[in-house]
Amino acid sequence: MLSEILIIAIRGIAIGSIFATIAMSFNIVHGATNIFNFAQGNMFILGGFAAYFFANQTGLPWWLTMMLVSSLGIAAIVAFQGYLTLLPLRSSVEQDSWLISTVSVSVIIGALLMITQGPFAYSVSAMLPPFQLFGTRTPGAYGLAIVLMLFWFVALRLFLRKTFLGLAISALSQDFDAARAAGLPVRRLQLIAFAISGLMVGSVGFLVAPVISVNPDAGLRYVLNGFVASVVGGIGSYAGTLIGGPLVGVTAMLTAYKIGGAYQDLASLLLLVGILMLRPQGLFGRVTARRV
Amino acid sequence: MAVVEKHAAMTASGVSGRKAGRFNSDLPQVWIGIALIALTGFGPSLLGNEYWIHTFQLVNIYIGVAIFQNFLFVDAGQKSFGQGALLGMSAYGAAIVYGLNGWPLAAAAVFGIGAAMVGGLLFALPALRVQGFHLGFVTMSAAIVFPQLLVTLDKWTNGINGINVKIPFLTQERAFGLSLIGLAIAIFPMLALVTHYAIRRSRLGRSMFVAALSPEAARALGIRPGVMRFIAFLIAAVGTGVAGLLYLPAVVFVSPQGFNIEMSFIFFFAVVVGGRGQMLGPVVGIWIVYILPNILLAQFIEYRLLAYGCLTLLAVMIFPDGIVGSLERLRARRRSTGGGEKAFRIDNFLADLDRRSLTSRPQDEVIVEVIGGTKKFGEVVAIDSVNLKVRKGEVHGLIGANGSGKTSLLNVLTGLSRLTKGSFKINGIDATTMAADRISTMGLGRTFQTPRIFPQMSLWDNLRIGLDARTENPSAEVAALAARLEEAVGEDSAALLSHGQRRLVEVMRTVLKEASIVLLDEPAAGLSQSERQHFAELVRFLSRKMGKTVIVVEHDLDLVWNIADTITVLEQGKVVASGAPVAVAKDPAVQHMFVGARHA
Amino acid sequence: MLEVTNLVAGYGTVPVLRGVSLAANPGEILLIGGENGAGKSTLLRAIAGFNKPDSGTVVLDGKPITGIAPETAAQMGLRLVLDGHRVFPELSVFDNLRMGAAARRGDRAGFERAVEEIYTIFPILKEKHRRFARDLSGGQQQMLALGQAFIARPKVLLCDEPSMGLAQALLPTILAFLRKWAETGTAVVVVEQHLAVTAPYADRAMIIERGQVKLSCRADELEARLAGEPVVEAT
Repeated sequence: MLSEILIIAIRGIAIGSIFATIAMSFNIVHGATNIFNFAQGNMFILGGFAAYFFANQTGLPWWLTMMLVSSLGIAAIVAFQGYLTLLPLRSSVEQDSWLISTVSVSVIIGALLMITQGPFAYSVSAMLPPFQLFGTRTPGAYGLAIVLMLFWFVALRLFLRKTFLGLAISALSQDFDAARAAGLPVRRLQLIAFAISGLMVGSVGFLVAPVISVNPDAGLRYVLNGFVASVVGGIGSYAGTLIGGPLVGVTAMLTAYKIGGAYQDLASLLLLVGILMLRPQGLFGRVTARRV
Repeated sequence: MAVVEKHAAMTASGVSGRKAGRFNSDLPQVWIGIALIALTGFGPSLLGNEYWIHTFQLVNIYIGVAIFQNFLFVDAGQKSFGQGALLGMSAYGAAIVYGLNGWPLAAAAVFGIGAAMVGGLLFALPALRVQGFHLGFVTMSAAIVFPQLLVTLDKWTNGINGINVKIPFLTQERAFGLSLIGLAIAIFPMLALVTHYAIRRSRLGRSMFVAALSPEAARALGIRPGVMRFIAFLIAAVGTGVAGLLYLPAVVFVSPQGFNIEMSFIFFFAVVVGGRGQMLGPVVGIWIVYILPNILLAQFIEYRLLAYGCLTLLAVMIFPDGIVGSLERLRARRRSTGGGEKAFRIDNFLADLDRRSLTSRPQDEVIVEVIGGTKKFGEVVAIDSVNLKVRKGEVHGLIGANGSGKTSLLNVLTGLSRLTKGSFKINGIDATTMAADRISTMGLGRTFQTPRIFPQMSLWDNLRIGLDARTENPSAEVAALAARLEEAVGEDSAALLSHGQRRLVEVMRTVLKEASIVLLDEPAAGLSQSERQHFAELVRFLSRKMGKTVIVVEHDLDLVWNIADTITVLEQGKVVASGAPVAVAKDPAVQHMFVGARHA
Repeated sequence: MLEVTNLVAGYGTVPVLRGVSLAANPGEILLIGGENGAGKSTLLRAIAGFNKPDSGTVVLDGKPITGIAPETAAQMGLRLVLDGHRVFPELSVFDNLRMGAAARRGDRAGFERAVEEIYTIFPILKEKHRRFARDLSGGQQQMLALGQAFIARPKVLLCDEPSMGLAQALLPTILAFLRKWAETGTAVVVVEQHLAVTAPYADRAMIIERGQVKLSCRADELEARLAGEPVVEAT
């Protein structure tokens, strides 16, 4: 009984850490651009595919190199996507086109993966050995997921609060007009925000590849759960995602153990609707930080 | 050359004011759409080509669903990525009842549509609280979860194996190669198109559209945006449900894979590629998004999802209005080059109302009263224990610096925000906790700082929503005025109106609404000197000829002093002076507001 | 330094400016007054690139900059300080100042000197340099907003209602700062409601009414000119 609870908690938190990292990657783009990137889940899966193709059953140095290279590659892809997404927003009165363009990019990536890889789930061998935690055998990648979430949380915090670039991106999300008046190169900063979000999901996708189902369909699941994590924590709140992500993860695991694996997404959907109906600003969200 | 023509036409239009051409091509588009659907619905049957019969049956069902998606997306402003799931709910609902349990067809139909409606209501529920991308994510999750549930709940759904349903009675060939279901499938999208058109032309459709474009304007007109969203989701669910019923006999087989998220994307993408909001958009959209990859690239069937995505991305980047939308814009531009800025002279129309030669006067009766009204936003006090009395029939000016609480007060009076403390009465009835739409039906009308004129609607429809907001039949005078306006501007565009004219249209809307209290929020901002004089006359007309109470928030002190019977001065949320203009001008608390010493 | 000719601008279809011309010279303060809604803020926003002018030209230092993006204008040396003491609330005071350097990257020594100068002029900012800007009072936020602009060393400073939402007593401090700043060779344009307080610090003055220049004169003549204006007739 106790061990069951422990397994649910550990795996839930680990899976939730993935959602939390995706939610953080939403935050940085949303803060800088007001755009929610629907394609983020497929960018994450790209990371998993990169691990399968470039770093399956290789040595540590090569694995590390490839993780860096593929994360940077995905960062470049997301930045390019951001460029395309922002293009029609510059002049048009219609400011909702990003909703359509990010969904279509998501579909395009999913379709490309499907065409080239087929509808199969690829398994990636673990880099880290499993470890014992409270007497349960836990795959190493679960540990990595949690570590990576904390890493990105701390890294983003330092970046956004200490570096000029990061401060400028924060400034953008706090007062867009004042940032422009101050001469901050807003378009470039927005693309950098996109690139960072790509770096985040690319790296986490690569690292957790051994414990997720790497298949062309999986991206949508992650983008949705990432979104739920973001809404639960409060959109825009980085600390909120640290709670929101694991909460969604534990809910999914609990559902999987108690009711059945097929109901995980339903549980997330119900959680999402529940939060939106009862507390749309999320558990930790402030009403809004941006002055209009 | 073109410039000279344009100039000549502008001068001409100033005189005649009328020009040929429709405001939009909705009606011709409906006819073209019906013709295209008839062609593909009946053509293959006449030729007896089984492959094309089947393909176009599916296409026409999808067109029907896309038409309702178009309605939901544009007319009601609800971004749903989950319409495919609703289609599946209906088809599966019917298949379970008829195919697995052997109930009669009628029960299957009721059950199928019922299932789609339940789904639609589930979508509508979060739409009451959130909009935009939130709703997109919720509906998309639903579309992902739906096929998963079909697989898991195999006790009822037969799981991954799906359900085979044969209804020979419907699929049997009757005449000209056509079966009953073939006939129904050909007619369904036509009916969907006509339904969409009819709703758009109706009072409900206009109210829905206003609610989607500007919730606060809608509420000020007595429309409840939440109710509108609910109705829209229900209509779309019923339409999609009917499509699901047709899908079942046409495809003969339902399976979870058939209703995956890909299907929902088809409908959404078809609307975008075809042209958001265009009647013909879904027809063209489904043809391109579905037929192109499925028929022309039949040997590359695995590429079709890629094709959907690329087509849509290209459409957003290159033709943001979609294919039909771009054509329609071309047509509208050609039409308007002859028009230039319309000279919409509202005073001519108002003169008609001037039958009551009686010049009305402000009365002693208090029509609006605020008692100790306080409004706080967090720690910021926007209105601070304000007492205000507005007499019936007077023009009451509210002045004060930026942030002194004028607009906050207007928002409280119209019910768009609620007092933190204190109360207010309209016509002696306590309205402190009333919703905006109820206050509106009590005879309040307002204009906004930026006029809520919707270029997507014709000028006449822009005015007509005032008429729609009425609860009783219009008086003979207003009915006559409306008829004249419709005749004069029935097919005109509101897009080319100047700012000053937009202002007048908004005021005219409150006249058509026969609001007895008219609230004007900075009406003179952006008006030229002559337009201001014009506006002053209009306000005097509203008050003295039509007996309306006018509350006006305005920065232009000359204008206020010119038209107001009473002036109230707000400073940091408090009333610092109130009374007749002459007295208020002498008040030392007010002096610093003037640049120079004009009114001293 | 800054030349604006016949500027026509507005929001969407709302016309606000109807042909305004002005010139700002180095070392001078130009005061722009007028009632609420007369178009003062729109004028500054149109010059700085936030509103695309419908017609008219803006020339900075001989280069046409009409309708360029505001961030580009800032990098070229035209800095707008928005009204309502807007700072980045979740950034520290010092980081807010750092953002000012966006328009003059790569001059580390100059940046540090400018920060020291600001700290000397407004010691309260130095005292609170680690605090979040949201914790400052409105007046301190205005000082910070100006300080951020000062760091950028613009050629032209546009300052929109520095007194908005502040206690009036703070205005002289701010104006004195602007005066000193102008004397270093910067062209300063200030929009302000409190004409009597502001005029003594300004060189020239301009009154905008309904989107047009109603009068333009030396700042020290402003009071007399305004008093001498005939009452606008009731129509």
